[in-house]
Amino acid sequence: MSILRQVMCRTAPSSMQICVRYASNQDVAPLDLNTALARPEEVEQRNKLSGKITVPVDVNLSPISGVPEEHVRDRRVRIHIPPKNAMQSGTDNLSKWQIEFDNRERWENPLMGWASTGDPLSNMNVQFGSKDEAITYCERNGWRWFVDGDDKPKKERVKNYGVNFSWNKRTRVSTK
Amino acid sequence: MIRAPLVKALGALSSPTHQIQIGSRAVRTTAVIAQQAPAKAPEKIEVFVDDIPVQVLPGTTVLQAAAQIGVEIPRFCYHERLAVAGNCRMCLVEVEKSPKPVAACAMPVMKGWRIKTNSDLTRKAREGVMEFLLMNHPLDCPICDQGGECDLQDQAMAFGSDRSRFTDINYTGKRAVEDKDIGPLVKTIMTRCIHCTRCVRFASEIAGVDDLGTTGRGNDMQIGTYVEKLFLTELSGNVIDLCPVGALTNKPYSFVARPWEIRKVSSIDVLDAVGSNIVVSTRTNEVLRILPRENEDVNEEWLADKSRFACDGLKRQRLVAPMVRMPNGELQAVEWEGALIAVAKALKKANGQVAGVSGQLADVESLVALKDLVNRLEGETLVTEQGFIKGAGSDVRANYLLNSTIAGLEEADAVLLVGTNPRYEAPLVNTRLRKAYVHNELQIASIGPKIDLSYQHENLGADASLIKDVCSGTHAFSKVLEGAKKPAIIIGADLLERPDGAAIHATILDYCQKLKKKDWNPFNVLQNNAAQVGALDVGYQAGVEAVIKAQPKVLFLLNADAGKLTREQLPKDCFIVYIGSHGDNGASIADAVLPGAAYTEKQAIYVNTEGRPQQTLTAVSPPGMAREDWKILRAISEVVSTPLPYDTLDELRSRLEDLGPHLTRLGELEPASLSEAGSQATISKSINGGPIDVKQKELRDYFMTDAVSRASPTMAKCISAVNKQQRQNEQAKQSVAI
Repeated sequence: MSILRQVMCRTAPSSMQICVRYASNQDVAPLDLNTALARPEEVEQRNKLSGKITVPVDVNLSPISGVPEEHVRDRRVRIHIPPKNAMQSGTDNLSKWQIEFDNRERWENPLMGWASTGDPLSNMNVQFGSKDEAITYCERNGWRWFVDGDDKPKKERVKNYGVNFSWNKRTRVSTK
Repeated sequence: MIRAPLVKALGALSSPTHQIQIGSRAVRTTAVIAQQAPAKAPEKIEVFVDDIPVQVLPGTTVLQAAAQIGVEIPRFCYHERLAVAGNCRMCLVEVEKSPKPVAACAMPVMKGWRIKTNSDLTRKAREGVMEFLLMNHPLDCPICDQGGECDLQDQAMAFGSDRSRFTDINYTGKRAVEDKDIGPLVKTIMTRCIHCTRCVRFASEIAGVDDLGTTGRGNDMQIGTYVEKLFLTELSGNVIDLCPVGALTNKPYSFVARPWEIRKVSSIDVLDAVGSNIVVSTRTNEVLRILPRENEDVNEEWLADKSRFACDGLKRQRLVAPMVRMPNGELQAVEWEGALIAVAKALKKANGQVAGVSGQLADVESLVALKDLVNRLEGETLVTEQGFIKGAGSDVRANYLLNSTIAGLEEADAVLLVGTNPRYEAPLVNTRLRKAYVHNELQIASIGPKIDLSYQHENLGADASLIKDVCSGTHAFSKVLEGAKKPAIIIGADLLERPDGAAIHATILDYCQKLKKKDWNPFNVLQNNAAQVGALDVGYQAGVEAVIKAQPKVLFLLNADAGKLTREQLPKDCFIVYIGSHGDNGASIADAVLPGAAYTEKQAIYVNTEGRPQQTLTAVSPPGMAREDWKILRAISEVVSTPLPYDTLDELRSRLEDLGPHLTRLGELEPASLSEAGSQATISKSINGGPIDVKQKELRDYFMTDAVSRASPTMAKCISAVNKQQRQNEQAKQSVAI
């Protein structure tokens, strides 16, 4: 991000402030006859003279992020909420969305017996507050992504201690 | 009802026990009212958890109310899917104006209660409980398999005391309990047991096997089977997950790895047609264990034993290099190039006489690739090994799906099983039926051999003509089905392979048109392998008869290992190409063996028996020279110079989308309506195929059903354990007789 800012500042020193102002005025822009009737080329020319630049909505950081091209082109990101560990009842870390790259080969390192991999992204663990944030992040970095699983509302269950002892239901407990 | 006002009149003077009675009574009366007038929703009541107001339905427990605002009360014995036991006391919380802390898991909330989950009293209560638990728990976390994912460990850190007052170690020592042998899957270290009784409740409620129980009281209490006996059910592995400590651990996985050194990959199980969601734990390109992943619509959070423990079969009997049969009749390992050229030569010679057979473990991507390849070579015969009704039955989706859906079966109130044993064909469908049996007063009848389904059911007999009786409305059980709100008829997939399968199918389908309700489809076919629905969805025909009739020159076997097709049934010069992961029946008759990836080694779509497409993810890479199946088919197409129009998985997926748009909507269910399911003219054919049978009758038939589980040493151990248990039972019976 900081690299991007440097690049932008170098080309147009005051562009950041301008585009912020421009964006905030966007929805209430009054219809100016001069602008409305002008040809597109004229508008472009005027914009150039006024020092405004238009920042594209889709920002692709992959050319300047330093991630090798192979890891941008060939990787597939899975956006998901980590599943609850079946062995435990705690649910503390299960509310955040997470990104995960496709799994590549791992092997046992003959030196120490540790697990080795040639994949620099396999240990990247980024958490997001929402699915959309994760999608935006992937789009900006140029990764193909897919969302796996949705956060469905939990089914409400009626828990009742009394059913263990109900005399006419099959919930009656025999063994214990 | 009579006592309630009296107790109310006593008001503040009443003891807490009386308050409990009011609580539960209030719940019951509201429940009755709700049943009588369903339009009126029960009014929500307000309680305060740590001073945050929560609106809950009457009858909600304190623990559930706290969970609604994200406050997690520690617990050991309480489990969402099991009955409330209330015996560990870890969930004690303070309630304002209550003299004693209350057990949050069992206590229903009352209006205006102020629950304090982090007060001094609550913390002291937890600390006290923890101290008692740890007094009787060994300090062997460093050598315990549960270490790192242990509830007791975590909760001792979070809620326990920071110092010990335990001095008895110098006098009588710690409590020690003898370990029990309950089978080849579950290892017991009973000294670690904290008596939460989750395993006992699981066995009796979910698995329906009352084998586990407790003996003794107080410090001498023990969990066990009382007499030495194996805990053998098709769901026994779940007690390992349930156990909050390391008392019940995974026997094949014992001392293999630590939770922090493994990588977890979410995937799908394909060893039965349920499509259970799983987490594959891997380390150094090796699958170490498989755990269930929560999916309310499919497997809740359980996993059948075959799916859980057959993963060691993924390392055995694997095909690691392409092989071609030499003139001397032996398969010889060759390079990929040589194998592909051999296959291409045979394909060129075949002149369009090409056919394909898909088996139990084939994924949708490779099914489509094979179909496209065979079609491009002007072949048309593409079949699945598993049979279905003859004719055009597989054209309509509702004809071969479990239309009531797996989760829907839990709401059914009358079920007829025809020629199926869901307990072993789809254990997690059976748990749904059992759940409905326990909680929904489900009435179940079966047509077929007498089998133990883990719940009471009426066996109507094995005569096939009974189907006609029931479907014409003359049988006694027809009255039950017709009177039910949500009736369901489940047909076993194997039954429809019979010559009169089409007649059975049509008869039941016609009857289901009569039984169907709004938003409820009573017609169900229970498939018994993960590939079948996907194959029928993309246009495969069912049954190998078509291949025998076509007498192809080149035959592709895609994971086809069931042995339904033999060399003798095919022409002498037929060149058989096997693509699959294991050296099983299919590879043994093949002329060229091309090593494919198993389900943990590829990203692939499988469609489960209710028609829900789900995808597996790559957990490890395929061994040796093995490659993903669709890539092999793509490579063959290149060599025979009819390249398939997809190079990447994304392109292949968009081809899938063309064939069936539902196939790429992963995890979502596309309902197939019954009205489209045209019953055919075959109704005139009579049902006359003799008595109805099922293949998997006993537990020993369950463990080995496909290439992966046949290669698994653990599954072999299970079968020998079941046999041993049976021998012992017989000996015991004989000695009693003498």
